[in-house]
Amino acid sequence: MLMSHKARILATARKQAIDKLPFGARIDVWYNYHSSHGTLPEKYKDWNMVEILRDQGAGAQIRHMRIWKIEYDNLEVVIQEDPPYQITEWRTPVGSVRLKTVFRPEEGPWVAYEVDYPFKSREDYPVIEYIFENTRIVPDLSEYYRKEKMVGEDGMVMTGMDFYSPMQQIMRYWFGYERFFYELYDHLAQVERLYELQKEIAKKKLQILGKSPVEIPMLCGNWSDEIHTPVFAKYFVPWLREASDYLHSKGKLTQVHADGEMKRLIPFFLETGVDVAEAWTPVPMTSVTTGELRKAWGDKVTIWGGIPAVLFEPQYSDEEFDAYVINLFKEIAPGYNFIIGMGDNLPFDGRIERVGRVAELIDKYGSVPIEV
Amino acid sequence: MIDYLAIQLAIINGDDTRTVKLVEGALEQNAKPADIVASGLQAGMIIVGDKFSSGEFFLPEILLAARAVTRALDVLRPQLSDWDAITRGRVVIGTVAGDIHDIGKNLVSMFLEGAGFEVIDLGTDVSAEQFVAAVKEHSPDIVGMSALLTTTMPSMEATIRALESAGIRHQVKVVVGGAPVTQHFADRIGADGYGADGGAAIELCRRLIGK
Repeated sequence: MLMSHKARILATARKQAIDKLPFGARIDVWYNYHSSHGTLPEKYKDWNMVEILRDQGAGAQIRHMRIWKIEYDNLEVVIQEDPPYQITEWRTPVGSVRLKTVFRPEEGPWVAYEVDYPFKSREDYPVIEYIFENTRIVPDLSEYYRKEKMVGEDGMVMTGMDFYSPMQQIMRYWFGYERFFYELYDHLAQVERLYELQKEIAKKKLQILGKSPVEIPMLCGNWSDEIHTPVFAKYFVPWLREASDYLHSKGKLTQVHADGEMKRLIPFFLETGVDVAEAWTPVPMTSVTTGELRKAWGDKVTIWGGIPAVLFEPQYSDEEFDAYVINLFKEIAPGYNFIIGMGDNLPFDGRIERVGRVAELIDKYGSVPIEV
Repeated sequence: MIDYLAIQLAIINGDDTRTVKLVEGALEQNAKPADIVASGLQAGMIIVGDKFSSGEFFLPEILLAARAVTRALDVLRPQLSDWDAITRGRVVIGTVAGDIHDIGKNLVSMFLEGAGFEVIDLGTDVSAEQFVAAVKEHSPDIVGMSALLTTTMPSMEATIRALESAGIRHQVKVVVGGAPVTQHFADRIGADGYGADGGAAIELCRRLIGK
């Protein structure tokens, strides 16, 4: 049977029959860097990512941040641009807070990073509570539909709940990790109040996702076990289970972006109800092999990833690259419930031709069931 | 008799209030401030580092322990006549050019300060030139570089080359770390050490400067 990249990815996630290993590749770091610097290979000048991946024989992962807009009532949001920085100030009747972010897509990233967080001290709790209580989530799918049309059957548009689960929003976006853990220790009730308010906001996003055409919404990600394990059982598992159950009732699957050090989070994962762990990044970039992960989760979770980003760099020879990928196939044999991909991106100095090499190796060795 | 074990335990438990109370008590018992630092604070933080490396402790335990040590040092510092005598070494640390991630760097800084190193934190997005200038100004034993993006890892090599060009590479040991960094990469660029996690930083730095 001849399946499109998208069909093969979806069939794998749905535990249906497939012909060979699906390959959903992500190259936005490489693409953003080289298109900004004018250093795309001559052949690919003026091509978009989907076209490049099609040429390489790979399925495409195209990122889309969100299918809604965030709007506020009874407060003013002032945005100040100071490239590459942006300062967002929320002005409420009970006070103001500011977030500073940096966005440098020319260096690869597709999103902004926080550099200074709104929460500074206990005086900011009532301000942030007010912001959460006056947040509205409004559907906005026009850009998603445009990307869907561009990708077609050649891959997937990856979107979902923003990056973060409710408690992770507070940890990462509003407080920063260090201040978050001090506050969790010193003022637990106040942090948990914000968490309850964030869950209500997240439920509105879930409702929009439930009605949308998004097949496998992304619930959150960017975990690292030294940071997230202490809060995972209490604040992540229940939410992920609730979100997964809801989206399953709408006929969808769920995924998370699992590109960090996952060793101590692995035992908790099966309790979440999440179907797909995307951007799986094994040794040498983390401490876990794909074989160990497969053994821990069995066939309950579809794994998407398996080739660490550094393998695409010139520091590894072509022979080392081939050997790693072929060994990956052996680790995952017979090959069900696995979508080949990068952990988590093609680096800026990665070799684009190795993306095509993965497609070649799948054609040669990746028919399912894989025979070792 | 000074109960240094109690101070260590307070730090391990992340109890800054108890740590400060015990340190004040030790001073009242005429303990030498340098001994409190070495046998109480630094010893406690080394245990915390070991527990982090072994997987028993996580970021919150490190943060709370580091806060306990910082608050205790605030009490002790005015009474320490010779700070240099009790430090294990001096480390200049920064996240490399183009990279604004700081959690890894901050974690390592906490460990090293708690374990008795003097840490000069250059912050994030630190250019090779800034590292060179910092080495000339502070004469550190170690330069530590962190990166979380594969796009910024080349800045580590650029910094090492810049130290060589400035004729000061031999004056320092260079250690690198961060999620995309590997031992393979560290060896290739000529770094002296690679830290797989923050907890390993203490032992690595002690080994590199022989203290």
